Amino acid sequence: MVASIVSTGLAIGCVYALIGITYNVMFSASRVFSFTAGTLGMLGGVLGALFVARLGLPVIVGFALALAAGAIFGVITEIVAVRPVLKSLDQHLYVLSTLALALMVQQFTAIEWGTEARPFPRLFDIARGGFDQEYWLPMLACAAVIVGLEWLYRRTLVGHAFLAIAEDTFAARALGLPERRLRMASFALAGVIGALAGFAGGEMLLAFFGNAPLLTFYGFIPVALGGMGNNRGAVVAGLLLGLFQQTANFLVGGIFASVAVFTVFIAVLLVRPEGLAGASAQRRV
Amino acid sequence: MVTPAAELSSSRVHARNAPRMIGTALPFLVLLAIGVTFPLFGGGYWGVIATRACVYWVLVSGLNLVVGFAGQLAIGWVSLLTLGAYTTSVLVAGNATPEFSPYLALAVAAVVGAIFGLIIGLPALRLRTFYFAITTLGFATIVTQVALAWQSVTGGGVGVAGPVLPKPFDSQWGFYYFCFGLAAVCTWMTLNVAGSRFGRALTAIRDAEVAAEASGIAKPHLLALVFLFSGAVAGVAGGLFASLQSYITPDAFTLDLSVLFFIAILIGGHGSILGPLLGTILLTVLPEFAAPLVAWSTFLYAVLLLVIVLAMPGGIAELLDFKNRRPLESGRAIVPRPDLLPRLLGGATDTGALTLHQVALAFGGVHAIDGLDLEIRPGQVHGLIGPNGSGKTTTLNVISGYYAQQSGAVKLNGAALPLLARHRRAHLRIARTFQTPRVVRSASVLENVMIGGTIDGEASFVESLLSLPRHRRDEAALRDKAMLALATVGLERLAAVRADRLQHSELRFTEIARALMLRPAFLLLDEPAAGLSAEEIGRLGALIVAIARTGTGVLLVEHHADLIFDICHHVTVLNLGRMLAAGTPAEIRSHREVVNAYLGG
Amino acid sequence: MSLTRRQALLSSAGAAVAVTGIAKPAIAAKDPIQVGYLPALTGPSSSTGIGINRGIQLAVKEINDAGGIDGRQIELITRDTQSDPTKAVNGAAELTRGQKVSVVFGPVNSGESLAVVPLLARTNTPQVHPCWVDTLTDPKKYPMCFRNAPTNQQIGGAANRYVVDVLKRKRVAVISDTTGYGTASVNAYVPMLKAKGADVVYQGNVDAANPDLKPELLRMQSAGAEAIMPWSVNAGFLSRIINTRGQMGWDVPIVGQTTLGSGQTKDLLEKPEYWAKVYPNNFRPVCYAPGGKLTGRTAEFLGRLKSAKIDMGDTLLWWIALGYDSPRLIAQAMKAVGTEPAAIVGYLNKLKDFPGVYGDISFTPDEHNGYPDDEVVMVEANSLKDGAFNLAPGYSA
Repeated sequence: MVASIVSTGLAIGCVYALIGITYNVMFSASRVFSFTAGTLGMLGGVLGALFVARLGLPVIVGFALALAAGAIFGVITEIVAVRPVLKSLDQHLYVLSTLALALMVQQFTAIEWGTEARPFPRLFDIARGGFDQEYWLPMLACAAVIVGLEWLYRRTLVGHAFLAIAEDTFAARALGLPERRLRMASFALAGVIGALAGFAGGEMLLAFFGNAPLLTFYGFIPVALGGMGNNRGAVVAGLLLGLFQQTANFLVGGIFASVAVFTVFIAVLLVRPEGLAGASAQRRV
Repeated sequence: MVTPAAELSSSRVHARNAPRMIGTALPFLVLLAIGVTFPLFGGGYWGVIATRACVYWVLVSGLNLVVGFAGQLAIGWVSLLTLGAYTTSVLVAGNATPEFSPYLALAVAAVVGAIFGLIIGLPALRLRTFYFAITTLGFATIVTQVALAWQSVTGGGVGVAGPVLPKPFDSQWGFYYFCFGLAAVCTWMTLNVAGSRFGRALTAIRDAEVAAEASGIAKPHLLALVFLFSGAVAGVAGGLFASLQSYITPDAFTLDLSVLFFIAILIGGHGSILGPLLGTILLTVLPEFAAPLVAWSTFLYAVLLLVIVLAMPGGIAELLDFKNRRPLESGRAIVPRPDLLPRLLGGATDTGALTLHQVALAFGGVHAIDGLDLEIRPGQVHGLIGPNGSGKTTTLNVISGYYAQQSGAVKLNGAALPLLARHRRAHLRIARTFQTPRVVRSASVLENVMIGGTIDGEASFVESLLSLPRHRRDEAALRDKAMLALATVGLERLAAVRADRLQHSELRFTEIARALMLRPAFLLLDEPAAGLSAEEIGRLGALIVAIARTGTGVLLVEHHADLIFDICHHVTVLNLGRMLAAGTPAEIRSHREVVNAYLGG
Repeated sequence: MSLTRRQALLSSAGAAVAVTGIAKPAIAAKDPIQVGYLPALTGPSSSTGIGINRGIQLAVKEINDAGGIDGRQIELITRDTQSDPTKAVNGAAELTRGQKVSVVFGPVNSGESLAVVPLLARTNTPQVHPCWVDTLTDPKKYPMCFRNAPTNQQIGGAANRYVVDVLKRKRVAVISDTTGYGTASVNAYVPMLKAKGADVVYQGNVDAANPDLKPELLRMQSAGAEAIMPWSVNAGFLSRIINTRGQMGWDVPIVGQTTLGSGQTKDLLEKPEYWAKVYPNNFRPVCYAPGGKLTGRTAEFLGRLKSAKIDMGDTLLWWIALGYDSPRLIAQAMKAVGTEPAAIVGYLNKLKDFPGVYGDISFTPDEHNGYPDDEVVMVEANSLKDGAFNLAPGYSA
């Protein structure tokens, strides 16, 4: 049983961490939290099942298409739900616009794909058992994203530009950085990461429209606990969350487990609103 | 001599008010008439839908205060509907407790709802918007899971029968009238709150939190009241919902329902009662027109929400705001009336000076203020100038309590001001304005100014809720005083105009009017002349001088050197957080270092 | 599958749109007879509704093609409950108060019926439903409500008998989803098992949407369970139980709800061999007798389904049969005594052995559960052919 708890916990923790990173990448680019992060995860799973299982495309092609779809949805989010409200004086409109967009996609999926969780195809035709691919696929994806982002932010010009926008939009603009294009690119990147999370986690989470609200919530906990914009914090918090959740699942069963997770989460947030590793709020006046 | 100002109070304002009041009341009266006569023309089926709309509105009316007025994005409010429904049903069924009468059960549901409304809502005080929204969603799930798990009481997945009200409310139309009656009462109560200092204070917290604090509004206390009320009506709505459903199971309380409530308010427009009311009716009725719509209903709501957010964030309320479509006169001039100041501010009070002694504050490695001494005497205008980043606004923020100094003391009458207690400053009659005007853009100019007088009100929240005499007296007095303040700064003709239609300079003067409502002993002005024309600066100067003459001590942080030298009794020049020079305007104007560092040539 | 759902949705939309409007005044002699119908055609608990719907549509068509009832056509007024009790209440209200139907058939899911049965009783509308939860009929509280399907007691009795007496497993794990039906079933069956001397080592209600049932099965395994008894109409949930058992390589029989054997469940299995040792309950009239033959009535019905090109691969024959029988039952009553509610109820109270494909239905004034005990049987899931099954091994009477 312990082996099962650890492998499932770490694997699902990686999925949560990836969604947390999705939130963070969107936040870095726009200072906005988008409700669409969880929906991206859901789309990764549903589209993966659609392309590979339903339409019979090869795994690589389905994978690429799913990521592309994620990127497109990310860009759509930026254009439709984020850019128009950034200019507005009411700071909270982004919550509503991204919520609306997320709900639209979720409901559409529920009606067209179905409200039932459908199976996700087996990606590699290896026999089941032991440390199965449904566990190491998300871990591999998470590791790849971490390494990739590190390289992007530290070694490439584009990555530096992303960081600049995140730090100080006005200075970046003054330096001549194309802020809007970079923001769209950030959202596209976030879309890819979110879709990857859903695709890699598909064998565990299945292709289910209800994964969207689930990942919206559980994917946000790593962000809240790890600190806004802090990807490393998100990963650590995500893994811890996964382990905690699975332990609770095995010990007391699903219903009480989710109550336990929510309660702990809310309690921690109230004690440290900026997260366990985050920085405090900035100047308001 | 009868001053023109006398015309402004009582008769003219009230006479102007009468048609406006009828205009505002008309839609509600129409809805009331339709609702009361509904059984005559609506069939049994539409009766169920109408009852449902009434039940939803009971909840939404309270949630409206939380979301629409206070701006707290409580998306998961269905948790309170669930609690209310189960509380009422379990108490009436008498399986786990002795049998209660349905009315008593509804009352208990209200209490339970209030308590949990407070619990669910209070994180709003600590958490950012998005975080708070997510926690409310978490609560909604927790409540449903508990309902599932606590089988012995709630029946778990099997559920429990809803309460049946005693005669005459057990028939379909009887129950409809009961729900309609409650819905009407909730409409009346929330209208009262909207037109009270509490409602205005909520909108201030939502749109101009720093200004709300400066006006003495204590956010935690106010939000607590609103969560209690909102939770209570949500609990009652839950009981009614259970009765309407005749049987409840945990899966009836879906996220879709939460979304419906939330979106109804946003479509309706924040700060409005009529808007969300129409929004609730619309969203309840819309899916019933065709079967396919029922399946797509949540999708539809989301589309509506997106459209509203992008195209018309003001919602239905903005659509119906006809009076704010009328064009404003162009070429308006702001002509203050300093002669009204004695009436507005009352007599001079006996207060000592406001002093800063060796105040220091550093942000990280940056010494924003580095050992500053300052004295603001009553009846005098003290100017504070210096280059950008010299610490002028920071000083003002320390005095008004937004920052806490790390060393040194800020004292009033020799007593140290409490650190970071920015909402207590108003009680000490220290008022301020802001570098960028902080106003509630969707409220009228008059309402914005009335926010300044919030702490003078004596009626409690409950008295406002029920429109008791003391509330009405408060409102009348506040309105009169605010009109006087607007006349004083020269904006009385724009009293009913929505604030976002004003020019920048008019907003600045509105802020001053709001600050004057406190009858301040000390008035702190943060770059009030920025963006004003030369003529307006002149008038501003005259107004400030007149304010000081009534005994108020004024601290004027400014870049416009001419204004400073014209009207200040004393000037302090800051540079890099330190006092570079201090003295009379004449002394400062010729001070060599000041000229080098700041004034130039 | 989604195509069928969409067809169903469109047809129900068409029906609803066509009749939306002012309720007609007193029905004239040759006006159609309006029968209300509350299936769950979409949503998590829609497998039953979809299957039943195929039978209902066929029966209504046949009746109408043959001239209807005394020259009056039957008009089926459908409101998809979407597996949601709230929408079921709205739908029931519209059918009875807006459309003024003569009889209501449905809902088909217990969770929705728990809310709708009291409502229909208040509007004095006769109701026939196929839901299993025991409390859904009560001749005293709901004198106009009849059940043309078995009760939970009957179903659970057969399943429990199979596990304890035939398979001889004493340590049992009982699991359901969190719907009203699932919860009520577990609450009913656990005491029944204990009364038979079995040891219920695991008892749980799990959210059907939970994708990972491994923790639950591992808990069952470590508690020493020798058989798993799932009670849910959610094909996804059931398939996940079967898949997890297969992934764990855990050799215990799965005995439980009829949906375990449906085509929908089969489609969601990871490997066809996982379907071995799965024994859902089913009904003798629509099963293959030893020797591989169907009864005459059933074989003839199957022929009719094939010529009407009705798909059976993704559902269960008994659902279609039940759906087929229900309008015919109602039509028989109306042919005999007309459409007045009291008359219909009076007729049903005296009904003896209505010859249904699914089973022979009888009611009395004190007994509104119409399905005979001995027709509930256990079958072998992987013997599915044309929607019907072989009886489970070792199964007798």
